[in-house]
Amino acid sequence: MSISLYFSILTSVFWLLTSAFLLPVLSGHANMGIQNYLLDAAARYPDKKAIIEISKSCSYGELLAGAERIAAWLCEEDAVPGDRIGILIDDPAEYAMAYFGILMAGAAVVALNTQTSARTLRDTINDAEISILLTQAKFIKYIRGIDQSMPCLRLIAVSSTPQHSVPGLPVRCADLTDILHGRQSAGRKQRPPALDDPGALAQLIYTSGTTGKPRGVMLTHANLMANTRSIIEYHRLTGEERHMVVLSFFYSFGNSILLSHIAAGATMIVHQSMVYPKVVLDLMVRERATGLSGVPSTFAVLLSFALLQSYSFPCLRYIAQAGGPMSPRLAQQVKSAFPDAALYIMYGQTEASPRLSYLHPDDFHRKPGSIGKAIPGVTLLVCDSEGAPVKPGETGEIVACGDNIMAGYWKDPEATARVLRKEGLWTGDLARLDDEGYLYIVSRKSEIIKSGAHRIGPLEIEDIILEHAAVKAAAVFGIADDILGEAIAACIIIKSGTACTAREILLHCREHLPVFKVPKHVFFVESFPATANGKARKDELKKIILGLPETGSAAL
Amino acid sequence: MEAIIAVIRKFIFDNYIFTSDDSLLDNDDSFLEKGIIDSTGMLELIAFIGNEFHITIEDDELIPDNLDSVTKVTSFIQRKRTAAA
Repeated sequence: MSISLYFSILTSVFWLLTSAFLLPVLSGHANMGIQNYLLDAAARYPDKKAIIEISKSCSYGELLAGAERIAAWLCEEDAVPGDRIGILIDDPAEYAMAYFGILMAGAAVVALNTQTSARTLRDTINDAEISILLTQAKFIKYIRGIDQSMPCLRLIAVSSTPQHSVPGLPVRCADLTDILHGRQSAGRKQRPPALDDPGALAQLIYTSGTTGKPRGVMLTHANLMANTRSIIEYHRLTGEERHMVVLSFFYSFGNSILLSHIAAGATMIVHQSMVYPKVVLDLMVRERATGLSGVPSTFAVLLSFALLQSYSFPCLRYIAQAGGPMSPRLAQQVKSAFPDAALYIMYGQTEASPRLSYLHPDDFHRKPGSIGKAIPGVTLLVCDSEGAPVKPGETGEIVACGDNIMAGYWKDPEATARVLRKEGLWTGDLARLDDEGYLYIVSRKSEIIKSGAHRIGPLEIEDIILEHAAVKAAAVFGIADDILGEAIAACIIIKSGTACTAREILLHCREHLPVFKVPKHVFFVESFPATANGKARKDELKKIILGLPETGSAAL
Repeated sequence: MEAIIAVIRKFIFDNYIFTSDDSLLDNDDSFLEKGIIDSTGMLELIAFIGNEFHITIEDDELIPDNLDSVTKVTSFIQRKRTAAA
């Protein structure tokens, strides 16, 4: 018997043994609902670290205690099943407590991007009809800046407040720190009985579309549990895992890491920023990380850090990449930088809870550029516009089926009907299959810009730019960027008789958009190449402006 | 020192804040906590400091203690200049 075969059998036996402990997760739980992941993990490993940060940590027992206090408080505040409760928190442990607490109260989570603006926050709160918002004092500036009413929002709980009241807020305010320490729960009300409808809404995740403002993707408990089961299976996650988390939990990718690792009773080492790669790498070494997930820009930043080669990660079992296409060249560099870690190239979208496919690490060298095959429980077809599968080698749109596919877009049946059709979820991603059934993304059908970990709709930015008094027309699109994957570029035509600088445009954007949506490049042009119906031809425009001197730029 | 602070503040305001409202950034404010600079912005800031002040920044110096506020960046530049003198 060869050593590799022997090792393979050994790992399979180990996996079978350990997966027996994960049986409730892998088979679905009798008591349905993703909040059970935390209840189960805390029952099995009360003292085990769930979240480790640079200078603090939180055990499963502590995580559950915080979540239960939030659930009890929400019930006292008359939150009812189905209510949408917002989370605007960047503290990892508080975020996880809020997330599971909301679900324990039977409500649905709306996790908000902490890189926001007053306007974005107002729009999301109003669209999702958020009744209660859990947040931190540092984000109050956005809420104070909201100039219009939010009729549904009735209560804000704020942590890290120096005093109990926060003046200047439009609604009643509670102290989230007190709630988390059990100082505000009188236990007057019983929590609702455990949820038994896996089809209930668990979470709304807002994602950008090409046609305007971000849409809420409705994910049910069943959706998220199906995806979590698949992830645990194909990554072979166990309670032994110690995963380095650099992505925020409010992204669908980060959300899937949170759920799969809590479900596995694993430990997450959390530092949700790549600004200082040394901090992340030192933490991985100190905490003996076994896994690392990132988007292409995560790895581009790591590879730009020359000291990377001086580190060694003897415990690192695997690296996972998703969140936009990574060039085969960058993927090869990642593989070379972490030669002993298995590299998973993955593909998904928020509408699929979010994961859809992965390239098995064994196929990495054989299938460069491929996103692999469907994850367990998912079927992926490449279809023509009529819904018929195309032949290998031909380009078509990826259509996905599985229990992980969203229930639809929140309050938007028309948009839902466009993508959820009888064949499944039409992803908008064009791809081809090779003769062995491996998928290769060819292009995106939509104009979505994937910049860093963000998915950005150009129309939303164009609308904001058009609000500037001097702007006649604007076209926004992504252009290649070594670190971000794509950077936002804005092409602008100024009204005759007016004047405007790039800096004025950027300031205007900064006032009304989250910082990651502020264009990195601004170009002023006299006219746009246009289609017959007057729409800017962005492909042609992109070629033209790449030959132009830039008139203004800004960092994201 | 005041001259270095002025140069750093101008770079930050020109590239990330876009206004001249001085009250929006205290010299001790954390760039990260304030959400002013992300990983791409940090690479740009490092390149700017290197070019503007003729210093070479080593990888192991890319830590918050050296770079996470106007004050910290200024002290870091002064230390580098002193060491090079």
